[in-house]
Amino acid sequence: MDKFSRRNFLGAGLILGASTLFAKEAVKPIVAETKEFVPPMIAFPEKKPLKTISDRPPLLESSSDIFTKEITPNDEFFVRWHMPDIPTYIDLSTFRLEVKGSVANALSLSLDDLKSKFEPVEITSVLQCGGNSRKFYAGAGPATHGVQWGHGAMGCAVWKGVRLKDILNMAGVNATAKYVGVNGLEKPAMDETPHFFREMGIDEALTDELIVAYAMNGEDIPYLNGFPLKLIIPGHFSDSWVKMLSEITVMDEYRKTFFMDVAYTVPDNDCECVVSGSDFEYKRKPIARMNVKSVIGYPASNSVIKKGSRVKVSGVAFDQGKGIREVMISLDGGKRWSATELQKDYGKYAYRLWSFSWEPKIKGEYTIMVRAINRIGNIQPLPNEIGWNAGGYQYNAVDSVNVKIV
Amino acid sequence: MNIKLLIIGILLSVTALFGQVNKAIEMPYVEYPIEAGDHDEVVQQYCLTCHSFGYVLNQGKKSRPYWTGTVAKMVNEFKASISKEDQQVIINYLVKHYGFESTSGH
Repeated sequence: MDKFSRRNFLGAGLILGASTLFAKEAVKPIVAETKEFVPPMIAFPEKKPLKTISDRPPLLESSSDIFTKEITPNDEFFVRWHMPDIPTYIDLSTFRLEVKGSVANALSLSLDDLKSKFEPVEITSVLQCGGNSRKFYAGAGPATHGVQWGHGAMGCAVWKGVRLKDILNMAGVNATAKYVGVNGLEKPAMDETPHFFREMGIDEALTDELIVAYAMNGEDIPYLNGFPLKLIIPGHFSDSWVKMLSEITVMDEYRKTFFMDVAYTVPDNDCECVVSGSDFEYKRKPIARMNVKSVIGYPASNSVIKKGSRVKVSGVAFDQGKGIREVMISLDGGKRWSATELQKDYGKYAYRLWSFSWEPKIKGEYTIMVRAINRIGNIQPLPNEIGWNAGGYQYNAVDSVNVKIV
Repeated sequence: MNIKLLIIGILLSVTALFGQVNKAIEMPYVEYPIEAGDHDEVVQQYCLTCHSFGYVLNQGKKSRPYWTGTVAKMVNEFKASISKEDQQVIINYLVKHYGFESTSGH
């Protein structure tokens, strides 16, 4: 614990400083009567039964036991769409990815073109919804906006496809180009509703790591995860990982849109959180890089375990691509911490599986907590330290489960 | 609350169905429970145009300012065409069944 504290003092101090301010000045949380609705478990096409938060647009949450695997199976991978109108059939003989705008040659690429005319590349990366785990904000402050996801709006997969850069280079980006806009085939119910359109700077679009993927874990991308094409932005929250990607628009000017400038934004300050007053009084910035996080896959919360059992506590950890240095575990609610064993490294953007052998010898209630630190010293905040934002984005506080030893 | 979930539609079994299907996928239809009364028909008419009732149920109980802001977002940002009068009906319904009275907070 000593080593742990010293080494990460600076990083932790930064987070603590910000959250302390928040705690002092924020409005008192309103504790409301919460009769929590339990979403039904329903099997959607190509999926096992998943927690169905909504069927239209489909919002499907994975259960926590997927965090015992470094690769999330396609049929258990979470689903989150923004628009109610999703085509239920894609004819690959007519499907095209259009590349247009500020380019020398507009392109219209079939799936076969992508598979045959470009160098295939593969990357293992975590895909996490910006609002993942947001329901846990309610433990530390006012409940946040939006549907209350648990930890199951994330997964990790091996993505295969072609570099966005290679596509843009084939089209020939104009010297005046500053932004790249991306959108897919999902559509709103009414024409007036803003379409799901995301933008990024041209420099980011031209980095090596962004991929237009056509395969996920060695198979076609499941329909509900964006068949036939999905944009992969390793290390970033999933807001711009557009599904059923159909258009890439190179632009000289930024286009103001709801989904870039209002949704998926946090206060534009150091802690990216509300220090005082209302979130909406702050200048906004879009969420982008993921922060360091670890969750417990086993045991499940409220498990009952027999004294003397050998328990392999396990879970996953990840960050924005700096790499996980250490995952600490506490079996006494955070008083003492020990190192877990980090498993095989699947790459800097992948889940890092961790495990800890535990043989509980005394009956009673235990709170297991885990806390990850990355290679640049970023450490997960404790739940009462995390900076709050109204959208409930970027939740990464220490995860915990309660178990009973009998 | 007497929740009775009626799940209509064929729930596709998870047999070898891959992305590259040669016919349309069939999406399950879920009938989420909706509290009756207080003009729930107005709520259903507008809200269900764009999203399921799951969006309401899975937010937890929210304050009057919260639901007022949410309805305003649907009108101002998502361009839902709802008269001022009906907006108030929707807000009152949401506060009564899925929220609580409060003048401040989230």
